[in-house]
Amino acid sequence: MPEALIRVENVTKVYGSGAASAAALSGVCLQVERGSWLAIMGPSGHGKSTLLQIMGGLDRPTSGQVHLDDMELSNLGPAKLARTRARAIGFVFQFFNLLPHLTALENIELALWFGGKRSDEGRARAITLLDSVGLADKAHLPPGALSGGQQQRVAVARALANEPEILLMDEPTGNLDSTSEADLLKLLGSLHEHGRTIVMVTHNLAVAEHAQRVVHVKDGRIERDRFSGD
Amino acid sequence: MNLPKLVWRNLLRRKGRFIFTLGGVAIGMAAFVTLLTIGQGLNREIRRQVQDLGANLVVTPKGWCAYEQISVLTGEQLPEAIPMSDVDKIRGVPGVKTAVPYLNEKTAFRNRPVPIIGVWPEAMRALQKWELAEGRFFNDVAEPAVVVGSAIAKQFQLKPGDEFTVRGKVLPIIGVLRETGTKDDIASFVPLPVVQSIYEVQGKVSFVAVQVEDLRQVDAVSLRIQEKANVAVVSDKQLLASILSIVGTVSTAMQAVAAVGVLAAAFGIVNTLLTAVYERRREIGILQAVGSTRQTLFAAFLLESGLYGLFGGVLGVLIGLLGAYVFGPYLTDNAFTASLRQSPVPSLDGATLLWTFALSEGLALVAGLYPAYRAAKLTPVEAMRYA
Repeated sequence: MPEALIRVENVTKVYGSGAASAAALSGVCLQVERGSWLAIMGPSGHGKSTLLQIMGGLDRPTSGQVHLDDMELSNLGPAKLARTRARAIGFVFQFFNLLPHLTALENIELALWFGGKRSDEGRARAITLLDSVGLADKAHLPPGALSGGQQQRVAVARALANEPEILLMDEPTGNLDSTSEADLLKLLGSLHEHGRTIVMVTHNLAVAEHAQRVVHVKDGRIERDRFSGD
Repeated sequence: MNLPKLVWRNLLRRKGRFIFTLGGVAIGMAAFVTLLTIGQGLNREIRRQVQDLGANLVVTPKGWCAYEQISVLTGEQLPEAIPMSDVDKIRGVPGVKTAVPYLNEKTAFRNRPVPIIGVWPEAMRALQKWELAEGRFFNDVAEPAVVVGSAIAKQFQLKPGDEFTVRGKVLPIIGVLRETGTKDDIASFVPLPVVQSIYEVQGKVSFVAVQVEDLRQVDAVSLRIQEKANVAVVSDKQLLASILSIVGTVSTAMQAVAAVGVLAAAFGIVNTLLTAVYERRREIGILQAVGSTRQTLFAAFLLESGLYGLFGGVLGVLIGLLGAYVFGPYLTDNAFTASLRQSPVPSLDGATLLWTFALSEGLALVAGLYPAYRAAKLTPVEAMRYA
């Protein structure tokens, strides 16, 4: 059995306190193998995104542990956690989340800067990355001048900037037309073939079927865990 | 990509807000610099006037207030309170080199006030090293004639041979002094006995300027004068100190008001940056997701604030210096500065300039602390919740 890149152990997340508290996750256990492609599905508001955020160190669990390789994320201080997010994790969001006042190239350079690259190194690598997602000619345009599909490809390039162990994607196709969606899935497929670990939240079954494994989350628990071919 | 680049891009995103906030800082600093510059210029001019007095001690009637002491420098009208007999006594005090009496009166010439100063012609010429631009000096210690300062001659277009009326008595103008750059330029001089007779104050003078033989003996001479005659004596240094303290109080008060303006501008920076933090909450979350540390976020907002201080400071100093040269003459237009013949030239030394920049930059950085803290305090999930 391949080694686990991410181990989520008995994670609970409670928002609020006292009578007004609501559990988003209750006792979730999940292992993500290195090089695998996992889809998380489930109804809105049942804890999919919270699980993804906790796996990526964007949020901290109320109890339980999250291991990335040999690091225990919930134990890291804010600065170390930030460095881990910069170097080991790549995020892609539904609404692309590019900074509107920077060019496509600069958005990628930003991630490289946080990853510790010098300015000149960063620029060269950012150009290579943009080229790899087929947007070399859009380098100096702001996100507003790009289509949704193009923005999402810039976001993927940004997420890949520092050669992260894992790509975490929250509804990456949620705002794309069918052509852009197909393009993005093709891109993800090739990343997966090259050994990249991918976790994506979606509620589109057709999208989820590209993954090797689909996990269903309902009421803050893992309800079903299915490998393709099962 | 680096911090300055990111900050620079952020700064220019809302150009209107950037310009108005910067304008606030620049105007506050400009007002401060203008007043500081004028104050320093005034200060320098006063020191020069005291130096040009040429006396080590000034003998005045007892109980003069600071305003009257200032009038010694400005040539304003003064009470006639020292009897001539005292002047003779002072001249006899050991250690006194010269003692020159002044009788300061004022007359109206073509409806404009002009100081008339009764003097001993030869003593004044020796003390002040006067030279004549036109005409001649007094031939006699009691010659009924007038020698006018260069600015007066220019203002009224006077030349030797013209007539000058003092209290209904017509006196011929015999000479025009060469420009001295002091209050002597805006006065007219008449031999002491003539002024005493016109103003019916025979045997009285306003004050006496004393030069001592040995500067180290100034205090001793001062005491000896006060033993001999019923008068008060101030040294040129005391005179300077008391004038500077009055002018200084006014300058400091004005600068304090201007400093309040700078402070208000600092609150403008706080406001602008807090708005920016609020507007960019989502981006702050994105930056954190991409890997920014809290320190980087804090530094970014602090640097943005610091740039307001830097640009505001530079602009403020430039506008302030310009303002001092353009408006300085109007702002300092009062009885005292008018008597300085020419408005004080604004002046600002390097150290003060540096302090001014430090004030602007320091305030801006302090102003940035709270917004920067607010930005750094946001957690990624909290920040990204806002669409």
